[in-house]
Amino acid sequence: MKQLSLITIFLFLFGIFALPALAADTFDLVIPLPLTGKPAKFGEIMKRSYEIAAEEINAKGGVKGKKIALSFEDSTGKPETARAIVEKLIDSKKQPIIVGEYTSACAKAVAAVAEERKTPYLIVASADDDITQKHYKYVFRQNQVNAHYGDAVVSFLKEVVKPKTIAILYESSAFGTSGADAMEKDAASFGAKVVLKEKFETGAIDFKPLLSKVKAAQPDVIYTVAYANEATLIMKQAKELRIDAKLYAGGAAGFAIPEFIKGAQDAAEYVVSATLWTPQLNYPGAREFAEKYKAKYGDYPSYHGASAYAALFVTADALTRAKNWTPDAIRDALKATHLKTAYAPVKFEDKEGYQNQNFHETFAIQVQKGEFETIWPKSHASKPYVYPVPSWKERK
Amino acid sequence: MSAIQLEVLLQTLISGVLLGGLYALIGIGMTIIMGVMKIINLAHGELMMVAMYIAYVLFSTFHIDPYLSIVVAAPALFLLGVGLQKYLINPVLKVDSILPENQVILTVGIGMVLANLATIIFQSDYRQTPVSYSTKAWYLRDYWKDSPVDTSLSLPWTVSFAVALLITGGLWFFLTKTDMGKSIRATAQDLDAAQLMGVNVERMRVITFGLGSSLVGAAGCLFIPIYYIYPDIGGQFTLISFVITILGGLGSTVGAIIGGLILGLFESLTATYIGMGWAPVGRFVIFVAALIFIPGGVASLLRSRKLGK
Repeated sequence: MKQLSLITIFLFLFGIFALPALAADTFDLVIPLPLTGKPAKFGEIMKRSYEIAAEEINAKGGVKGKKIALSFEDSTGKPETARAIVEKLIDSKKQPIIVGEYTSACAKAVAAVAEERKTPYLIVASADDDITQKHYKYVFRQNQVNAHYGDAVVSFLKEVVKPKTIAILYESSAFGTSGADAMEKDAASFGAKVVLKEKFETGAIDFKPLLSKVKAAQPDVIYTVAYANEATLIMKQAKELRIDAKLYAGGAAGFAIPEFIKGAQDAAEYVVSATLWTPQLNYPGAREFAEKYKAKYGDYPSYHGASAYAALFVTADALTRAKNWTPDAIRDALKATHLKTAYAPVKFEDKEGYQNQNFHETFAIQVQKGEFETIWPKSHASKPYVYPVPSWKERK
Repeated sequence: MSAIQLEVLLQTLISGVLLGGLYALIGIGMTIIMGVMKIINLAHGELMMVAMYIAYVLFSTFHIDPYLSIVVAAPALFLLGVGLQKYLINPVLKVDSILPENQVILTVGIGMVLANLATIIFQSDYRQTPVSYSTKAWYLRDYWKDSPVDTSLSLPWTVSFAVALLITGGLWFFLTKTDMGKSIRATAQDLDAAQLMGVNVERMRVITFGLGSSLVGAAGCLFIPIYYIYPDIGGQFTLISFVITILGGLGSTVGAIIGGLILGLFESLTATYIGMGWAPVGRFVIFVAALIFIPGGVASLLRSRKLGK
């Protein structure tokens, strides 16, 4: 069907003959992620980052003398496909650890399979809170949960913007819904009234009816949780309608990747977004990874890439420490992870009702002159924030 | 009704009409193919995708404005449509098969091939043509200072709408005033009679498929400045044009225009007054309601009121 699956079939056919010879000195890791369909953009960022990480690990001699042999399977962003891929990996390929996936819906499906078959699963960039709240023993999450995605933005709002009213727009996916619910709770904590909370479908063309309702409600802050295309269209159309909120804020994902700035152009200016990572952080290896990625692909990677990059180091670390390479031994090794990565310090904890969850700091970025700048928390800021932002009429 | 509520209503209606006009152009392409061929072309959205990619390539390599690329994309799509009809669909029409509507299934296949070709060539990235005027708009208050409401009219949306109107007007002229247009209508109305009167039916079929394709191709060029593309974009537009075709009455051009406007307005009003998440539900409610209450579509209503032909 897709170019990739053709290649996979091809490789598989050859693999039947080639594998026995190769199996001795490589560790095969098949990573499910979306390479076609709507979330393909994120899948691509992550695939490239995994590849960079594998190269570096292998250059240093691999894991216990074995090189990591990466391959990818396209789950097209559909939970049923992701599920089928992972069932195959565990049942017939006997892969002792699963890493990958992107959308929350897919990660949920994969987590259920992994738990059922007692195989550790490392989640890389799926945010829905629910996934690590189910008392799964074998499911680990490296990225922050959705409830905390907005932490830095919330503290920015609390300390700088001090809004009285807020409008929340979100896309009707697991990620969008949980992000919006988290912001609704946070809004109460800094005393802002939620004047409007509305969802939309991905693929929608015209947001102006929704946005004119937002305009009529005159919120201080407009907070949106969306993937890249909707983020772009919403900002463009908000500019068309001249909706002058004190601040536009986004909940990571679509607001935190370079495509957002490319698509929305000047309409993206001054938009603040939550993010889990920026290339400007001073974690060990963060800048090196970002520069390497940029040199190769032309853009800085988003947090998705950094998390994927780090996930492979976490995996390699667990594999190195594991007594043997059975799913249970790897699971125990993962649980004991205590690693400083380019993405964030990684440690899987059980707290706040989550299990095997890595809690790490989040950041707020702002688009300034067509570039993402880290603005909050102040200790990590690469540029001072711009607030209050000029109204649409005042710009040029 | 306060001024602000009025402003929301007006803005919603403006959005609805502009969106509806674009929907109508997509729908017309499908409906004229339906009229002459008696089949639903389920590769319709994918043809639009092809045109959008043509516009994208022209924009990114030669910096040609997406609106100007209609001049290239529409004829290209005409040829593509003609080719598909001549070498794929016509041969299948002649073959007896167990499946009664195997041409329809063929169009599904064509759509899949096109979408996957696009994936191979362009990857599944989202692409846009970031034109400089993409967020330009006219504001009522800029022209009338003390206006109680401040509605805005987006430049690219308005241009797209106007061009859609022009194309529709041109199509109407072609279908009613030219010999070939009349032959196409004759073929749509009664195939046997048209054949007896000396109309080259097979040729009309080929031309109609080309015409329908180039219309949706033009629609693709009008959409790209306000939207984005990726290879699997076709499905949602096939669906929209299918709803419009049913709503408007199979094969009726006037019906498709009215159907498109109804759908656009309905979606906008649902988004404002019920919730944007409900828009797809609204679309299917209209679809089912049309099938149950006006099975012949808007066209049948026009006919019974003696408004249509």
